[in-house]
Amino acid sequence: MTEMIPALEMRGIGKSFAGNQVLSGVNLVAQSGEVHALVGENGAGKSTLMKILSGVHAPDAGEILIDGEKRELTRPAEAIAAGVAMIYQELSLAPHLTVAENIFLGREPLRSVGGAFDLNGLLKWIDRRELEQRAKRLLDDYGFRLNPRAIVGRLSAADRQLVEITRAIVEAKRVIVMDEPTSSLTSQEVEELFRLIRDLKARGLAIIYISHRLEELEAIANRMTILRDGIAVYTGNWGEITTDEMIRHMAGRELKEIFPPRQATVGDIRLKVTGLGRPPVFEKIDFEVRAGEVVGIAGLAGAGRTEVAEAIFGADPATEGRVELDGVRLSGNQPGDAIGRGMGLLTEDRKRTGLCLNLPLATNITLANVGALLKRATIQTKLETGAAERYIRKLNIRPPSPRALVGRLSGGNQQKSLLGRWLFADSKVFLLDEPTRGVDVAARSEIYREINELAENGAAIVMISSDLPELLGMADRILIMRRGRMVAEVLARETTQEEILRHAAVEEG
Amino acid sequence: MQDWLKRFLPFISLLVLCALIPLCEYFVLGQDPKFITAGNLAAIARQTAVITIMAMGMTMVMVSGGIDLSVGSIIGLTAVVGAMSMVTGIGVLPGIAVAVAVGALCGMLNGTAVTRLKIPAFIVTLGAMGIYRGIGLYVSNGNAVVGLPESAGYLAERTLFGLIPVPLVLVIFIALVVHFTLSRMRLGRYCYAMGSNIEAARYAGINVWRYQIAYYTILGALSGLAGAIETSRTVTGQPNAGEGYELNVIASVVIGGGSLNGGQGTVVGTIIGSLIMGVLANGGNLLQISPFIQKIVIGAVIVLAVTFDEFQRRRLEQAEG
Repeated sequence: MTEMIPALEMRGIGKSFAGNQVLSGVNLVAQSGEVHALVGENGAGKSTLMKILSGVHAPDAGEILIDGEKRELTRPAEAIAAGVAMIYQELSLAPHLTVAENIFLGREPLRSVGGAFDLNGLLKWIDRRELEQRAKRLLDDYGFRLNPRAIVGRLSAADRQLVEITRAIVEAKRVIVMDEPTSSLTSQEVEELFRLIRDLKARGLAIIYISHRLEELEAIANRMTILRDGIAVYTGNWGEITTDEMIRHMAGRELKEIFPPRQATVGDIRLKVTGLGRPPVFEKIDFEVRAGEVVGIAGLAGAGRTEVAEAIFGADPATEGRVELDGVRLSGNQPGDAIGRGMGLLTEDRKRTGLCLNLPLATNITLANVGALLKRATIQTKLETGAAERYIRKLNIRPPSPRALVGRLSGGNQQKSLLGRWLFADSKVFLLDEPTRGVDVAARSEIYREINELAENGAAIVMISSDLPELLGMADRILIMRRGRMVAEVLARETTQEEILRHAAVEEG
Repeated sequence: MQDWLKRFLPFISLLVLCALIPLCEYFVLGQDPKFITAGNLAAIARQTAVITIMAMGMTMVMVSGGIDLSVGSIIGLTAVVGAMSMVTGIGVLPGIAVAVAVGALCGMLNGTAVTRLKIPAFIVTLGAMGIYRGIGLYVSNGNAVVGLPESAGYLAERTLFGLIPVPLVLVIFIALVVHFTLSRMRLGRYCYAMGSNIEAARYAGINVWRYQIAYYTILGALSGLAGAIETSRTVTGQPNAGEGYELNVIASVVIGGGSLNGGQGTVVGTIIGSLIMGVLANGGNLLQISPFIQKIVIGAVIVLAVTFDEFQRRRLEQAEG
């Protein structure tokens, strides 16, 4: 057998930012037709490595070969010309343009009057009909049910992700990088994406697939590379090492188990939701959560789970129904009221509704309870730093510095600092909306442990998640929402992923 | 470039200017430098006081993510209303109080419109700019209000110990209060939080609109005080007072490191920004540079300051990887 020339070879890549070595001597080889999983904790250097591949950053050391040919990828346009495309974790679409316009952004089919009037192509204009037809063909091919004329900004996060994927596929000729492509997709859409990936494999593309969800990689990865602290610590075929070994490589230490056991005694009702609704988004939501309980809410994207949480919290008020916390009715139109009575909402989108990214960790941790820092109406720096340090230690936040800007922390540490905010605000009822989205395995485990500790100390916890293994591993009961209604309630220890999915997706009768 | 450079760049620029102007005076014009005389420095303080006082309030509003273009018009309105009330004989201090109260009311209306109508602050206050100027012109019939008691001039003209102008004392006092508020009080803490991410602030339980109105009200009150100082300086109530000041006020904040996107800005930075503009104008006059050229230079400085800020921000974002 002749030596195959890999579609992509990155050799000895090194990169540092402001004296901080982010990558050193990283090798990554991906053959045509292979799905290469790139795993590692947040901050391990995965995103930087991929930004080097897509021409966003220039490496300090090393070289990149596409089909055995050395390429200088110093600008994104050069990477695209070399056949490398990327699906970003943070969406990078133009919100005011249509689906079709986004897919072909920069590569629009053009028409011109031709001849002497062409002025070197200056007088070309976009052929809208052709653009929309091509987009429609592509979307139909991939089985994405999207209107090419829809304005991207009005689409759901999941649909936007599909647009992003379609665009990358159009660009990709040799290598396609997918950075957490499923973080906002439903299980159904994930299945479609996987079908698409198999199709891309068959067409001879090399796929670099970044994900924190090991179950997901299990389904599609052929090979994998594990990064830790900017070094490739392991490369091999998928399945050669066990999950435990992978986690050890990633974390550099042993992780006992992903879902630690909980010994909570279930007490009185803390949160009682009665007839809550804001038609047509959701209505007739009834449930209660007792002290020491973790109640999961499952459902497809768009089922109204986040909206219910925001209504309970008072951030986006309901129009009917009531919420009681420890027997006291909440006003339901002011987060401040809910917070004052001991409720905390860990929002789904920490960058939009959670963090003040350019402010220090200490400010972010104490933001919901500034009153506790005041003496004679003055913020006591000592109290503030003390509080920050307490939760940095408790939640193992990195870097352990209260003055660090939160925007420079990794996703896991950002999430932990928000959890710290609600701990500092003395919350007793926690609404956790996708608490581990974009969070690495080690930080996840720490968040789970913290949730358990809270429950054991008598907190009531509502956990919304699209990650079914997570719900099954953490919740006592799971409520299932479909199209704005609660359609079923199951006990976590007696149910299966399939049963939850059936309730969440299938119309009965 | 390092973070400290960004922090100290305005200050360094100010020092360089203060060294450059007397040197130019000496070597280019061949005169003894007038720039560093006590009289000239007091004049700079007097000239920049009105702008600096408003810029303190503008720092709050801009850190919280807002902007107010109507502050120059509030000066005109409060100068007229303040002067009219002094003419009725209620006395100078009550007249100043009326100016401040009317200014605060204008600011409160701005804040209320921004938060309740959910219209961008830029547009709301652009409208308010016309409205307040119009009211000032209407009630005064477009004429200066005259016949003020002579003691009305004290606020602008008096000095403490025969040396420090009263407006400078006011600037220092207000700067200390605003600095303390921004760095150590809840009002200031929420200001940065809202400017950094208003949705996050709301989800953290902050009553966002109430605080926003408070910041605009404070700015309005300080603009009213500025109107009283202008009245005192001319011992008349000029309906056209303060025209174009809003740009100098906003420029002070921006040159001092404040961001148009909110979340950034400090009192010290704003004072330096305001001094840079004051020193540029004063030095320009001493060096006999045409005031038209001065306008060009100040405009360029503003663009440079914002460019530098953006450049720095982008570098930070890249480094986050």
